[in-house]
Amino acid sequence: MNVRDHLPAFLVMVPLLGSFLSPVAVSFGKTVRNVFFVAFAALTLLAGAAICVATFGGNILVYVMGGESFALTMPSGMSYPVRILFEIDAFGAVFIFCVSAAAFAGALFSVNYMERFSGWKRFMPLYFLLTAGALGMCATGDMFNFFVFAELASIASFGLTAFWRDKPEAVEAGFKYMFVSQIAAMLLLIATGALYGKYNAVNMGFLASVMESGTMERVVLALIISVTAFRCGAFPMHTHMTDACAEAPCGVTCLLVTVSQASFYGLVRVCYSIFPNLAGGGTVGWLLIVMGSMSMIFGVMMAVIQHDIKRLMGYHSVSQAGYLLTAMGVGLLALGRGGGMEGYGLASIKGGLFHAMNYSFCNGLLFLCAGSLYYATGTRGLDKMGGLARNMPWTAAMFVVAAAGISGLPPFNGFVSKWMIFGSGFAVHPILPALGMVTSVLALASFVKVFQAAFLGPPRAKLIAAREAPYGMLAGMGLLAVLILLLTLFPGWFMGNVFDNAAEALLRPQDYIRAAMGGR
Amino acid sequence: MEHTGMWGHMETGSGYWNVFMWFVFFAIVSGFVLWFRSFGRMDYKRNTEQDEMFLSGWSGSEVPADGAKAAAPGSASYWGFNVALEPVYNVLKRFHNGSASDYAGYFVVTTALIGILLLF
Repeated sequence: MNVRDHLPAFLVMVPLLGSFLSPVAVSFGKTVRNVFFVAFAALTLLAGAAICVATFGGNILVYVMGGESFALTMPSGMSYPVRILFEIDAFGAVFIFCVSAAAFAGALFSVNYMERFSGWKRFMPLYFLLTAGALGMCATGDMFNFFVFAELASIASFGLTAFWRDKPEAVEAGFKYMFVSQIAAMLLLIATGALYGKYNAVNMGFLASVMESGTMERVVLALIISVTAFRCGAFPMHTHMTDACAEAPCGVTCLLVTVSQASFYGLVRVCYSIFPNLAGGGTVGWLLIVMGSMSMIFGVMMAVIQHDIKRLMGYHSVSQAGYLLTAMGVGLLALGRGGGMEGYGLASIKGGLFHAMNYSFCNGLLFLCAGSLYYATGTRGLDKMGGLARNMPWTAAMFVVAAAGISGLPPFNGFVSKWMIFGSGFAVHPILPALGMVTSVLALASFVKVFQAAFLGPPRAKLIAAREAPYGMLAGMGLLAVLILLLTLFPGWFMGNVFDNAAEALLRPQDYIRAAMGGR
Repeated sequence: MEHTGMWGHMETGSGYWNVFMWFVFFAIVSGFVLWFRSFGRMDYKRNTEQDEMFLSGWSGSEVPADGAKAAAPGSASYWGFNVALEPVYNVLKRFHNGSASDYAGYFVVTTALIGILLLF
């Protein structure tokens, strides 16, 4: 058996198996539970990293479940049968790596963070289900399974948001998330059903090869853009996300950041690969830019006035999702215009992909730092914190790395990705870099506020006993901090080996179609 | 766009990026800072009253033992900014009212607007 051929199956199978076996592992005691939790998360990360390496150089991994053979995408006698198809190119691999790394960091962190609480028999299965759902969204090659994996991730998200069911706020946040998310899920199912009704297929590659530009296709595109933008937290559909980020356990929030990225992956895949003719016309590009710009500016404005550290980070997630939408909107517009603008479009897409990874790791780390503060102080209120840098030097240092990274402070990684996005955005409209700079300044201002309020100043009498987070939590945070520093120190390597391949894979829909139709 | 290996710089089309240039820059600036600092007063003595905390007008034993009485809370940050933009923030706060039916409404209306934009 060639392990490389089965990597896509391992990627989803490992967290799913982890989910089903978790209740058994929990019943064997704390040590077995912790080892099991970290081991399965590590195996998932290993599969994600291996997929990233396997897609270097333009390879596309295809895996079929339910066919005569795992490599047989077009079995004889069945034109376009409904079955589980995974299709992973370098573009999808970027998001898979982000999800699996965040899942591992969150698991390491949660081992200590969740130790004080009961309910592990619910926590671990839901955590792995959330991981499997997000990975499946990035790996699947058909629309129906995208819907299924999105629902898997959503249902796990509701459960984990309302995990502390003795807290009314958590239950309310979980309910709101569920309520709005189910409306979105129905619209996604209607869109998928409409495609199946007309084309007798849900395979993304096949759909891309036959897609027309009629009224039905426009309605379907509108529904899919709306649903995926909602799930990635775009303004004005972001409101459920900040509540969920505030109430979910911090290890989970780190993962929720990448779940929103998985939706972003779906949005970009649909616009660039399945509906390139409709999306390339200019309207979709401007739509993404407007939604992205509003998310950026309103998200960060709301972050500045928050006093609850996790809610503040939640609004930052909205703001960062705005950068990604803007980058992909600029890419669509510039590539569609032609006339020498293609270079700007490509740079914007690469910058957007770079920023997607920065966002995953930096915001994930910021949520873990918030969790570390909550663990030490028992409060999320910034007004009740102060002087914690003396007692929690590692948390303070890692907070600085993450905040500087995502604010785009030179020489950190965020500066490079933002420069690429807004250097290209200037060619589309000069207001875009101006908005980006204002957003970055406000982001930095809100992080300065958090650092000043939580870490600086004289120590509070009530927090004199606060201690640094345990080693497990520091290890989870440290993993993300190391990844941020690697992105900071070697952006050229990441660009040349990861983001270049990913952007080129996205802009070669014909290869994606060929792989789905049986050619490698 | 060119990338010259792991340690090299990255051409972006509007200049180039090399993080190690920044480190060189910080090293040079740090050298200047230390050089200027060497011109400062040399009469500092450890473990004297010069080491006592001075905070917001309090000095020495006047500084409250509990930082909560001495520090500005996080909610006081950017007070002027918040007041200047109060009309905008009032709208934004009303928008984030916590009502699930309103949240669903935002989603449905946005979906309808996107549909109209793409159809016409």
